[in-house]
Amino acid sequence: MDTTTLAPSSATSHHPRVTAARTTDAVKVYGRDGTEVRALDGVDVSIPAGRFTAIMGPSGSGKSTLMHCLAGLDTLTSGTVNIGEVELGSLSDAELTRLRRERIGFVFQAFNLLPMLTAKENITLPMDLAGRKPDKEWMQTVIDTVGLADRLKHRPSELSGGQQQRVAVARALANKPELIFADEPTGNLDSQTGAEILGFMRFAVDRYAQTVVMVTHDPVAAAYADEVLFLADGRIVDSMATPTANQVLDRMKAFGA
Amino acid sequence: MWRITWKGMWSHKRRLLGTTMAVVLGVAFLSASLTTGNTMTAGFDQLFEEANSGTDVVVRSANQIGSGDTSLRGTIDAAVADDVAAVEGVASVAPLIEGSARIVGRDGTPVGGEGPPTTGSNWLGDSPLNPWALADGRAPQDVDPSEPYEVVIDRASADVGNLTVGDHTFVQTPAPVEVVIVGLATFGGADSLGPTTYTAFTDDAATALVARPGQVSTIRVAATDGVSPSELSDRIDSALPPGAESITGSELSDEMLADIEGDFLGMFKTILLAFSGIALVVAAFSINNTFSILIAQRSRESALLRALGASRRQVLASVVAEALVIGAVASAVGLAVGYGLAVGLKVMMDANGLDLGFDGVVMNTSTVVASIVVGIGATLLASVIPAVRASRIAPLAALRDSAVDTTGTSRSRLIAGVVITAVGIATTITATAGDNALVQAGLGALATLVGAVVLGPVAARPAAAVLGLLPQAVRGQTGRLARRNAMRDPRRTASSASALMVGTAVVALFTTFGASIKATIEQTVDQDFGGDLVVVTDDFSGSGMSPAVAAEVADLPEVARAAGMANAVMLADGATIDPSVANAADLDALLDLDVSRGSVDDVVAGHIAVSEEYATAHDLSVGSTIEAEFADGATTELTVSAVYGNTMNVGDMLMTPDDWTPHADQVGDVVVLIDLADGVSETDGAAAVAAVTERNGAPEPQTRSEYIDSIGSEVDQMLMFVYAMLALAVLIALMGIANTLSLSIHERTRELGLLRAIGQTRREVRSTVRWESVIVAIFGTLGGIGLGGFLGWGLMRALAAQEGFGTFALPVTSLAVVLVLAAMAGVVAAWRPSKRAGQLDILDAIATD
Repeated sequence: MDTTTLAPSSATSHHPRVTAARTTDAVKVYGRDGTEVRALDGVDVSIPAGRFTAIMGPSGSGKSTLMHCLAGLDTLTSGTVNIGEVELGSLSDAELTRLRRERIGFVFQAFNLLPMLTAKENITLPMDLAGRKPDKEWMQTVIDTVGLADRLKHRPSELSGGQQQRVAVARALANKPELIFADEPTGNLDSQTGAEILGFMRFAVDRYAQTVVMVTHDPVAAAYADEVLFLADGRIVDSMATPTANQVLDRMKAFGA
Repeated sequence: MWRITWKGMWSHKRRLLGTTMAVVLGVAFLSASLTTGNTMTAGFDQLFEEANSGTDVVVRSANQIGSGDTSLRGTIDAAVADDVAAVEGVASVAPLIEGSARIVGRDGTPVGGEGPPTTGSNWLGDSPLNPWALADGRAPQDVDPSEPYEVVIDRASADVGNLTVGDHTFVQTPAPVEVVIVGLATFGGADSLGPTTYTAFTDDAATALVARPGQVSTIRVAATDGVSPSELSDRIDSALPPGAESITGSELSDEMLADIEGDFLGMFKTILLAFSGIALVVAAFSINNTFSILIAQRSRESALLRALGASRRQVLASVVAEALVIGAVASAVGLAVGYGLAVGLKVMMDANGLDLGFDGVVMNTSTVVASIVVGIGATLLASVIPAVRASRIAPLAALRDSAVDTTGTSRSRLIAGVVITAVGIATTITATAGDNALVQAGLGALATLVGAVVLGPVAARPAAAVLGLLPQAVRGQTGRLARRNAMRDPRRTASSASALMVGTAVVALFTTFGASIKATIEQTVDQDFGGDLVVVTDDFSGSGMSPAVAAEVADLPEVARAAGMANAVMLADGATIDPSVANAADLDALLDLDVSRGSVDDVVAGHIAVSEEYATAHDLSVGSTIEAEFADGATTELTVSAVYGNTMNVGDMLMTPDDWTPHADQVGDVVVLIDLADGVSETDGAAAVAAVTERNGAPEPQTRSEYIDSIGSEVDQMLMFVYAMLALAVLIALMGIANTLSLSIHERTRELGLLRAIGQTRREVRSTVRWESVIVAIFGTLGGIGLGGFLGWGLMRALAAQEGFGTFALPVTSLAVVLVLAAMAGVVAAWRPSKRAGQLDILDAIATD
């Protein structure tokens, strides 16, 4: 199918309400007495499995912190984070690392790839690190989906920004993770290329029931999600199901963002 | 602009630390070497001054043969002392008899003999010309011939030998003589005159033991008040018979200092300087690498400066200024460290029998200036190319995203490297003939080394690719990442490896040399060592061992024949030569002299044997005569009676003991070769010989294999010294690798963060860095071993061509050990960088700025 023509979800398919990840009274405090900043101030969220969730909020709202804590990249000051049944606070650094490489996929805003590895090697990196053989059929599906078949031998420096980000998406998908976290994945891309990347993620959710959590400040990007969570001053202040770009924009304006 | 330079440096101060350390260590080594050399010179100077203190003029024989180590000065007639005493202005005279006497300690082990003099002399009593003072007991007196001689010895030897007043012991002159210690002497407050030992007899005893009747070594003269030493020396000269001369005490001190400078001390200094040179070259490579990386990392800054209007010259000057500051600071620190090193070294030498009785160390202005100039110079030199490269960065580079140094391996580098290396190899290989073979091979070696350094970046990628297969196979993805990291910037990999390559090339060269020397000795001993047993002297200060050893061993029923060999010094037709002294017929039977003309049986008193080369060079044949002149001034005519081919053990001339002994004050053999009688086992024969050597205070006999082993262990000891000297250079190289890794990790912060985020554990991150370090270390070491081995082979071949001996041997085991050590060192070098990489905060690393 022509993936680039994927439209934002109409959110028709509803999976059973299984929770992929959740936080309970999550608090994250940076700094010390006097200068402390409460980046998360008692956040309770649950990320439904098989859905595309966007987290929005102005700069400093704590949206990146929330994502980092959900993904096991950062630890909470108090409260709990669960990925499936696992409580992350009880895990050691090595266990967290293993959890990330086995159950989580990442797409960052920039610098997603290792420059000395080829596109193909970058895609299989998490599995290589875990010492697992990639599922060939699935690999082929992923590569076809993102349209990289003729770029596999190239190094990142030989790829355009959009192509690099497609490799990053492919890497996140290749491992069949329970969750994919995307941190401003289109932040460095032009709108056309950005739409492609968002389309891939939407497709993965619709077609393969992939769970995706995306942090963004772009209402157009958020419109690809099934649900948008709005964060301000470290708290969830609102949510919106089946958003459109305009609705999201209006809501953001209401927060004065 | 200067403010920018300064601020830039300050913000990079941690990264500059690595660069600074290389310079600090190099300069420290250099300044410690210079300081130690100067301290020893000052120590010897003080020693000789003290030895000659109170002596205004010294009268001695004008006859000296040879120079340096093998020089020999004649003696003078004791009666000259009366003539000197009669000269106006002479307050007192003291005829001094000096030879060698080795004191045997309480446990039977001789004291001293490692090189510093073991002086045996006459006691000058209360004379102001005696620099020694009695600290205990009394002066020696003449005794009945049946009684042991009375001696005064220095307090230091008494301590070492656990002897005291009243003890009976022996001194070797070189025949063992029984003595009783009646007094202990100190030298100007010190326990001895530096590392020398001192035994004083009565005049008669000294004459009997270490001189010839009626002869004295020197006459020491004190002037009356108001008469200057030089004036007195002039007056004395006119009263002296021919063959005698006088010099002032201070002239004698200067002469003694010049002698030791030209000999042992000069060599010592040269060796230290050579090794500090190697350390500095390695340091320069290391600095060059660090600068290159720092500048590559800052290329955006430089480009921004250019875009904002800084001229090329300003950017260049900024980098050069940075090098200047680093060089200056590091040199100053290095100088301080070097001072500390020199002090430590002095303490060590003092504790190991090299105490010259000199306090403190001498760091003079020239050492300070030389160290600073060399330190700054090396830093500047190493930074020139990176600086020029920095100045060439286009202003546009500021706008580009990538700050990584991507300039790889140019075609011109490949061509230049291949040409230089090929020329070097060809020059080394063709150095197989002529008197300049060694020089040619040396030049070829240098060119090969330069070529290898130029080729480094070309070889780095394929080499890292191959070497990286191992970690990739063993450690999977972690190993693969290490391999890719080592391959990604060949110039950087090569740069940090080449410092190590230069260091290990020298290590491998010496290792190969050592093995080759051993192989050469083994071969020549096999060829030329005809006997079953050998006794080798352990006395390197005096004249060797008593001639009684050879004589008594020859008389043993277990022994078929034995020949002692001594060294002589004389002038043959006006030219200095040091012939071997032995019974030619016995010697020939023991080691086959390969006589081509004449017969060894004819080499009796008044006759000599010479080598073929010597015969050809001096147009001699059987029946020709040479005019021999000895240190005592005597001349005699010697007839050539045999011409031989085997020069390995005897050199160019062989003379009889009969012709040599009358001209020598003390005669001793340096080696005794022994053939056992038929049917006598080596064990029984050795036991019988050992009884003789023990009686004569000589070392135990050795079998052929023991002899080879003992020489081998001497070679090993020399190698150990060389390794210790090279350790610093290798350390600098390893620090260079560690530094490069640190800089690379700083550069790869975001990569490492990404890897950690998507699932590489801290342990795996550390492992990746360690393996990269190991790949670089092995790459450098393999290059060094290959280079060192090849150069060792080339130089040994040239040596064989030029000197006629030398067998190449490749010490595979030793070199394998070097390689394993290098791999381990790679792990050690990666310790800190890998730790830092592992501790990297993921969020910091992936944060988008």
